[in-house]
Amino acid sequence: MTKQSISFCDNPVWKFLSSVRLAIVLLILLAVTSIAGTVIPQGETMQFYLEKYGPNLFRLIKSAQLYQMYDAWWFLSIMIFFAVNLIVCTINRVPITMQLYSRDFLDVTKERLLRMSASARIALGSSEKSVRVVEVFKKVAGKSRARSLAGSELFLVESGKWGYWGLYILHSSIIVIMVGALIGSLLGFKGNLMLFEGETSDVAVERGSDKNIPLGFTVKCDDFNVEFYDNGAPKEYLSELTILENEKEMLKKTIKVNDPLRYKGITFYQSSFDSAPEVKFHIVSASGSSKDLSIPAFERSLWKETGLQFGLMRFLPNVHGTVAAHIWIGDEQNEPQAIWFVQGREKEFTFGGNLYKASVKEVSQRFMTGLQVKKDPGVWVVWLGCTLLIVGFVVVFWVPHVRIWLWVGEEDGNIVAIIAGQSNKNQIAFNKDFEKIKQALRSSIGE
Amino acid sequence: MFTSSFLLSLTTFVYLGCAVLYLITWIFRVRSIGFAATAATWFGLAVQTTAIGLRWVESYRMGYGHAPLSNLYESLVFFSWVVIAVYLFIEWTIKNKVIGAFATPFASLAMAYASFSPKVEDAIQPLIPALKSNWLIAHVVTCFLGYASFAVACGFGFMYLIRGDEDRDSGLIGTLPSRKNIDELIHQTIIFGFLWLSVGIITGAIWANEAWGTYWSWDPKETWSLITWFVYAVALHVRFVKGWAGKRIAIIAIIGFISVLFTYFGVNFLLSGLHSYGNQ
Ligand code: HEM
Repeated sequence: MTKQSISFCDNPVWKFLSSVRLAIVLLILLAVTSIAGTVIPQGETMQFYLEKYGPNLFRLIKSAQLYQMYDAWWFLSIMIFFAVNLIVCTINRVPITMQLYSRDFLDVTKERLLRMSASARIALGSSEKSVRVVEVFKKVAGKSRARSLAGSELFLVESGKWGYWGLYILHSSIIVIMVGALIGSLLGFKGNLMLFEGETSDVAVERGSDKNIPLGFTVKCDDFNVEFYDNGAPKEYLSELTILENEKEMLKKTIKVNDPLRYKGITFYQSSFDSAPEVKFHIVSASGSSKDLSIPAFERSLWKETGLQFGLMRFLPNVHGTVAAHIWIGDEQNEPQAIWFVQGREKEFTFGGNLYKASVKEVSQRFMTGLQVKKDPGVWVVWLGCTLLIVGFVVVFWVPHVRIWLWVGEEDGNIVAIIAGQSNKNQIAFNKDFEKIKQALRSSIGE
Repeated sequence: MFTSSFLLSLTTFVYLGCAVLYLITWIFRVRSIGFAATAATWFGLAVQTTAIGLRWVESYRMGYGHAPLSNLYESLVFFSWVVIAVYLFIEWTIKNKVIGAFATPFASLAMAYASFSPKVEDAIQPLIPALKSNWLIAHVVTCFLGYASFAVACGFGFMYLIRGDEDRDSGLIGTLPSRKNIDELIHQTIIFGFLWLSVGIITGAIWANEAWGTYWSWDPKETWSLITWFVYAVALHVRFVKGWAGKRIAIIAIIGFISVLFTYFGVNFLLSGLHSYGNQ
């Protein structure tokens, strides 16, 4: 390390930010504060909190933004603090890991080998046996490096050294996930879209702000269906969607819950549905001409020949056992009227000086699909982070750095072999392996 | 004649019996009873596995087939199945039956609660659209692998506290594994559980993203699983960095499992949110 970097690491602010003690405090703080948002309902109206919690608690809830806690500045600050802590801590550890990583494990004395908890001395007696032991060691323990010392030889089998980087994979995965979430919240949007069967739209309505967000293409709902189980529980919600660009059909898909449609980075999820009534209307004029009209909710229907327009103002599904509809009637010249019709019963009325007879023949439901529209360019970064998290975790705990030494040389005039080993984790598995190698060496010389 | 619900009731009684047998084994130290306890537990596991498979088949016969992991009842059954499986694995690797007295009660309690509580609906129900996802199966399986490991870690935590501050070699306490071994067992099961909880949270996020278009919405259940995750992250860090071991880790293992229980039941019964298992 250079002088400069030492003074850098000694900086008290850096020390504080790199301390694991701080990490533990922040983890506990995150855990404890998170509880508040699970107890207090989130995203309700101010009125709701005032009624439920009374004026004193309400003031606290309002000032600490506990009604949308996970977006509150103080909660985000803890998160950012945590992220900084993690980054600084990670950078801080690099020199230590580098040292571990580049340490020369062939640079070890016989005495140290004997002091290791896994070690054994095997008397060889002849140099012939020592050749055999080395051969067997190489075969059983794996690829080895060797170093000749004065009057002795040292072999080392080392594996899993790269596992030290697992911790970096693991810790940086948390940062990657946070970056993914940030990308999503800066560059993406979340919106809703309600579409009648047959209707099209080229915008979505942003959640929260109710602003229209242009999609860059058109989406059309061709059909919507709900299927039910025998017991009445919903089985499937299905929307047939078509994507249009310049009136050209680009993509067609039937979406359901858990099976969305994706197009140009925007995803359409089946989230809800609604229905509106549609009235079949029969009208006869005094002159004898008649017309069957379909009057959907929220739209006008036109009787071309007479210029009359009809709209559905209100609809009551059950008035003394039948359906009633309040129909709006108007044209260019006259004062509009609204008249109640009961299904199946003909009614006479005058409009613009003309007499008409009309009736509501049938009322059907017109479905409207509720879509959630989302753009989240960060989601793949989040998934990358999640993958790194799992990979890193597995490496941290299941890739041990194992070192097994074989020293062969003369000791007090006798040729002996010393086998020793170390592992930084999974001692039980390591001990098993070590015993196996030891036994193989022993039996190779007939012990 | 052998319906899944009959076999699951049988499982409940077998596991209760196992817990009693393991307790007797520990308290009176009779080898043959220990053997019977192990045999009964394997038998219980076999019966329960058959029952779960049968329940799966039955759901297909009813016309809305799905893996038996879709409501509170089925998740409790699966939870106890994993506890037993994890326990038998540990017994088999470290050859100590005393642990059974601390692990099997979790499985028996879960089964008893599932079978006898009027709050838990045990009929096979059709899946509502949001639950029709392979990610859901992955999510439930991995979460419960985690929860069950944490249950076992909690059992070890109690075991450690019972063992007390010194390694006595006589009496009831003397038959427990050494403090060092229990400590290591707590650590290992926490690591195992933490990995599965992480995978569980991630698969849950993927599922939510497919179903609702948000991988994380801070709903109470999600948040509580994250709180639980933080608790165990703290356990790993204080151990590794501050060298905490023994009693303190044992206590964290117990606190962690309380958090698991709250994630599992508390959220359903006390708070409201997307995960409506408990409200059915
Ligand atoms: C939620 C986020 C985090 C997770 C999931 C996590 C996970 C882990 C895991 C699994 C280990 C290995 C423990 C062991 O080997 O027993 C570890 C070690 C460690 N973590 Fe974290 N960690 C997180 C946040 C942090 C933060 C914010 C810091 C910053 C100070 C930090 C610093 C360390 C250190 C210094 C070690 C010890 C490494 C060693 O000595 O080999 N961790 N972490």
